Amino acid sequence: MSNPLADMEKPDVIFCIGTNMTECHPVAATRLKRALARGAKMIVADPRKIGLAEIADIHLPIRVGSDVSLLLAMAHVIAREGLVNQAFIDERTAHGEDFMKHVESYTPEWASGICECDPEDIEQAALLYGGADRGAIYYTVGVTEHICGVDNVQSLCNLALMTGNLGREGTGVNPMRGQNNIQGAGDAGALPNNYPGFQAVTDPAHQEKFRRAYGRKVDLETGMTKVTALDLCGDGIHAMIIDGENTLVTDPDRHHCEHALKSLDCLVVIDIFMTETAKVADVVFPATAWAETDGVCTNTERRVQRLRAAVPPPGEAKPDWWILTQLARRMGWQGFDFGSAREVFNELCALSPLYNGLDWDRIDLGEYQWPVPTRDHPGTPRLHEERFENGRGIFKMLEYRDPEETVSDEFPMWLTTGRRLPQYHTRTQTGRSSGIDYLLAEETLEVHPDDIARLGLEDGGWAEMSNPRGCLHVKVRATAKSPRGTVFASFAFEDVPVNVLTGGGYDPVTQTAALKACPVALKPVGPPPALGQTGGDIGLGRL
Amino acid sequence: MTDQGATHDRSARRMTDQEILARWNEEPGPLLPVLHAFHARDGYLSEDAIRAVSQGLRIPLADLYGTITFYHHFARVPGGLDCPRVCTGPVCVQEGALGLLRELAPEGATGMPCSGRCDDPVPVLRGHLTLAGRSAAELVARPAPLPPPALDGAAECVFRTIREPGHATLPGYRRDGGYEGLACAVREMTPTQVIEAIDRSGLAGRGGAGFPTGRKWRAVAEADGTPKSIVCNADEGEPGCFKDRALMDYDPHAVIEGMIASGYATGAHRGFIYLRYEYPETEDILAEAIREAEDAGILGPSVMGSGFAFDLHIRRGAGAYICGEETSLLNSMEGKHPFPRNRPPFPVTHGFEDLPTVVNNVETLASVPHILALGAEWYAGLGMNGHAGTKVISLSGDILRPGNYEVPMGFPLERLLYDWAGGPSEGRTIQAVTMAGLSGGFLAGDDLFVTLDEPAIRARKSFLGAGGIMVFDDSRDMVEVAHAAMEFFAHESCGKCFPCRIGTQRLTERLAGEAGPDAVVAWVDEVADIGYTMKETSACGLGTAAPLITESLMRYFPEAVSRHVTARGALPMAGRGSGGPHGTEP
Amino acid sequence: MSTNGTGPTIVLDGEKVAFTPGETVYEAATRHGKDIPTLCYDPRLEPFGGCRLCVVEVEGARAPVASCTARCQAGMEVRTRSARVEVHRRTLMEMLASENREVDVDELTSLASQEMTELVDRYEARTGRFQGRKSGASRPDDPNPFIMRDYDNCISCYRCVRVCAEQEGDYAISVKGRGFDTQITVEFDGHLKESACTFCGQCVHTCPTGALGDLKALAHREVPGDTKKTRTVCPYCGVGCSVDLLTRGNQLIGVHPAMDGPANLGALCVKGQFAFDFVQHPDRLAHPLVRGEDGELHEAGWDEALDRAAEGFLRVRERYGRHAVYGVASGRAPHEAAYTMQKFIRGGFGTNHIDNCSRA
Repeated sequence: MSNPLADMEKPDVIFCIGTNMTECHPVAATRLKRALARGAKMIVADPRKIGLAEIADIHLPIRVGSDVSLLLAMAHVIAREGLVNQAFIDERTAHGEDFMKHVESYTPEWASGICECDPEDIEQAALLYGGADRGAIYYTVGVTEHICGVDNVQSLCNLALMTGNLGREGTGVNPMRGQNNIQGAGDAGALPNNYPGFQAVTDPAHQEKFRRAYGRKVDLETGMTKVTALDLCGDGIHAMIIDGENTLVTDPDRHHCEHALKSLDCLVVIDIFMTETAKVADVVFPATAWAETDGVCTNTERRVQRLRAAVPPPGEAKPDWWILTQLARRMGWQGFDFGSAREVFNELCALSPLYNGLDWDRIDLGEYQWPVPTRDHPGTPRLHEERFENGRGIFKMLEYRDPEETVSDEFPMWLTTGRRLPQYHTRTQTGRSSGIDYLLAEETLEVHPDDIARLGLEDGGWAEMSNPRGCLHVKVRATAKSPRGTVFASFAFEDVPVNVLTGGGYDPVTQTAALKACPVALKPVGPPPALGQTGGDIGLGRL
Repeated sequence: MTDQGATHDRSARRMTDQEILARWNEEPGPLLPVLHAFHARDGYLSEDAIRAVSQGLRIPLADLYGTITFYHHFARVPGGLDCPRVCTGPVCVQEGALGLLRELAPEGATGMPCSGRCDDPVPVLRGHLTLAGRSAAELVARPAPLPPPALDGAAECVFRTIREPGHATLPGYRRDGGYEGLACAVREMTPTQVIEAIDRSGLAGRGGAGFPTGRKWRAVAEADGTPKSIVCNADEGEPGCFKDRALMDYDPHAVIEGMIASGYATGAHRGFIYLRYEYPETEDILAEAIREAEDAGILGPSVMGSGFAFDLHIRRGAGAYICGEETSLLNSMEGKHPFPRNRPPFPVTHGFEDLPTVVNNVETLASVPHILALGAEWYAGLGMNGHAGTKVISLSGDILRPGNYEVPMGFPLERLLYDWAGGPSEGRTIQAVTMAGLSGGFLAGDDLFVTLDEPAIRARKSFLGAGGIMVFDDSRDMVEVAHAAMEFFAHESCGKCFPCRIGTQRLTERLAGEAGPDAVVAWVDEVADIGYTMKETSACGLGTAAPLITESLMRYFPEAVSRHVTARGALPMAGRGSGGPHGTEP
Repeated sequence: MSTNGTGPTIVLDGEKVAFTPGETVYEAATRHGKDIPTLCYDPRLEPFGGCRLCVVEVEGARAPVASCTARCQAGMEVRTRSARVEVHRRTLMEMLASENREVDVDELTSLASQEMTELVDRYEARTGRFQGRKSGASRPDDPNPFIMRDYDNCISCYRCVRVCAEQEGDYAISVKGRGFDTQITVEFDGHLKESACTFCGQCVHTCPTGALGDLKALAHREVPGDTKKTRTVCPYCGVGCSVDLLTRGNQLIGVHPAMDGPANLGALCVKGQFAFDFVQHPDRLAHPLVRGEDGELHEAGWDEALDRAAEGFLRVRERYGRHAVYGVASGRAPHEAAYTMQKFIRGGFGTNHIDNCSRA
């Protein structure tokens, strides 16, 4: 996030897009609700009538994957109505003039034909955001998990740049990170293009810095993404080590994943449970879990916080860093002499300019948000206050693109996927926590009542959902939360493995999978033969 | 535009959910009118209706549900609205209300706290109709009584012209000099001059608090924030008080005129009459008067051609004594849970919708036209012994001629009781009277010779308040009277602050003989300790006033208290069981 | 603690102390070390003024004033522990003790559950005075596995209702009825699951009497040993809420929200609050596993497993080159895991074939 969580209570106008925050980031959402109670206005763009939409002033039920068209039209209205922040554009951005020209033809009426929202609502939303003194944008993977994920994010940046809603309290373009340390994994350098601290691997100076630190030269070429690696399994990639990810279930196109992992010569998995992915591994290492592990994580607002162990791990489980260190030593490598998490973290701090001012002891109370470049630096709750990291904020001239696959006569419904409040991801943890199943014990497909009637389905009955990649059976629930033409299911339940269907392309820049827009066909089917023992060949039943 | 009449408008009976919501959605304080419209249409508030209101007005469902349950009169079962509600106030209980309640039980009758007709018992609400009578056979719909004629040629203010035929209509009101004061004010006086006149008159809040009206208006005039509001507190919930009902029924234009003048003086362009639920006929009368005033250009965009705009709305309560407390009233109008607010800030700066607001009692506002027409000095001179103006006393109970009497401030209570109202019935003596309805507790013995002004009454550890006086003759069991009074306070305690919520309950139980020590000394200690803490720490007037009942009971009737405590255990107190005469919610 | 500054001051128990404009008497007094009792106060919420235990004497005021709602005014003279207010506090505590089924509740009930007990003891209020009807009706019929609704022990402070509205923004619970019959409820008196409740547990942990309880923690009340607290960060989404882990011996028995957690200020969601026991679930992997000749995974010692893994990587590197190996780090494990993984790939194989799970 460009701005701290505390800023979420400060905007005049909140624009949430592609974020089901009340279910996926409930505690962050409480801050937005406090802003609303204070009198802030909220625009929510989401195909579904999610919890945030219920409390929004304007809900824009966009068709899945049409974000760019909406955002271009909003920019059009803001430009047309003179709601731009010219001083900000002049001082801190580039190509502003070109952008204003670029959006001239993208009227709300034009966008309406693509995103299927009322042009008047688009107009009002633009006026609201454009007229705000403090406008803040929040988004999650509803924006990024599309073939145009980068375009979507850049479209949001365009809006913020043209209105000067960056670098101030209660503003910003704020992605909400979905996993406890997904930010930290990037910070720590687990990326194909960056060393720790987002230092580009293509920069020879960085190469030299890490050569000295690690005692060997690392390629100047960017590595491949996991998506590419999975595509190349057995054909270029022959060994893989996976830590704490149930790749088989969470990645798109499950059949492809399963095939990929099985074609490796060597698959090593580190995890805390026997996941579907661990089951196909050659070696499985038992890791210590949360509450058993000392360590560090970084949250969505770049706050660096301590994790502390409170109980001993089961049996011989060990911290991930210890396992990797031992493995490296067996490989005969130098530089893996860590004796504690503290030593690992302090090495990271020494090598990352974002963490240079930090060490294990200094983060004890969690008061620092990176960058913390030096020891005397107070941390950076808000980015871009004075300037942008790379000079000027650059307007991007974007065009709307259709998703790679679109609905057709054969596959007439959009499937979009996501999470539900009580369950987390594939339920490896929440499914093993007592009581959670009381709140949510099975997956259902949310279908608009009109579609239920049109497709001959039945509320509470079963449907077969299919596309060329796969097919599954799922219980149907009638709800106007889903718009007509779009259905929703979470990927939490093993017996409704929606990722056998997803996989219609990737963003060309980030290779983020398009998990949010997937054409499917639906038809009624009878209930499964033995309810409660579903799972069959693809899984293990309910975890 | 204004929105009169729709709260129990029969036309609402044909409206859809969406039409009702659309009708009120853009109005200030829409919740109560919307609930009343659903209530009137369906005869109760169904779960579906509550869900529709929750969605339509964007009020969280649980909040809305909780708030609805706070009010006595919203029926939650089909047909509930039309089930009779029988007044079981202190006077009506003496006049046979419990028998009537039993008689009407087959029709689903329930009790309700004093509904402000102690001068014509026993009132029964059936839907939106008020009937009165001491038995089912006697029940008849009739207008509530006019104030009895003034005696001894006493000079009156608010009752000066009220008895003239047709006075409640605009032509009648104008015939009697109505709206002349306002015309003079909006055409010839500055707002400041109006406030100065009210200052000079010595007019003070007649709802009980006695705050100088001119000072209140000035505070609102000087406060920042618009729109400002004038709120007429017509939630006359105090048992034994029925003066505001008489004023609104027979002189509605005086209230309207007073509100417009207050608006002019303070810069407020909107007014609200918060009317208690139990006066449905009064709502019709007010609505008609407002329509007349609008048609005549007295209300609306240019009051009497002056260019000053003023609109008036009625908001009907739903049965909660605490809503007579001004901050609860404001919360109620805003659709919030009607707990009293913490003060400061006061309504003069943070009132309706957190904006500057005058909250004045009906009698206070009805006095204003007379002051404007006849002069501040005239009004100030109406009082006795250096007190300014007059006070309407609602007199009821064991007295020959109950009714509303307008007395000069400082008038001897004894003269009111005996000379004006005829004293007790033949062969009886007056044992005690209540003050401030019930809130002032009892006066008895030598203290019955008090004069009717705050300093004199406060010196006797009571207060005049809104001016309700109930009379109890020597046939009455004062412990039982005290129990009924405390039960009322327990029934009406909002539940926000601990001393009142628990204290009213514990005192009720002790007066009922249901709980508490068997030894007199210990009993008195407990009751005194509870009362002391309630008086000193309760958050609003209900909790600080309720212990005056037990305090005065123990002061004037120690032997009755001893007998009551000693009898406990040996003689279970029949008829003083829990549940109470107000019964379950309809 | 006196002040020599030029800011406004009040006289607090005879001592001149500074206050910041807008500060309540309670806040100023607490900041200056006074221990004023209260049961309806939660620093995260708007002052309510319900319990009246925080009343103080203010010079010139007719009656004691509630310090939680009264703002400081320059020159105000405040007495926080005068005999007069202490008498009222004791009476109020006796009254409270009289309306509940019990005063003593298990400390595992919730974070704030001992507040009333402590005040009853501080004011020696176990006198048995003011007996009468009990208030509140418990809801043992609510089958939810997380939140005990034992309203027999409710004192109507409405902290639960207010925290749900003001802190959580869910408005799931409210106050039904009035006076002594007040009852905490959801719409139409149903179960929490059928309401807007999200089971964040905030109501539980602000409840000062144990009327609301953490059923998951209470299930461990028989576990022997002292309860220990360890501060850490929730393992689920990226908000990074601070929590305190409750342990007895080697057993994880519950989670408390951390009121001073920088990201959450005490707020949590259902997962962070209640979904913790996966950690000590019997399904946990406790030993390394190695795929055997039979194609099945078998338990193995660390040496064997590490050797097997190392051999596998070395063999692939030998046969296909160093670019044939790929590392996937976890967004769920700490920095040390991700850092060591990337070092393993970069420092070991010299490639950038490393990624984390953020792309799916």
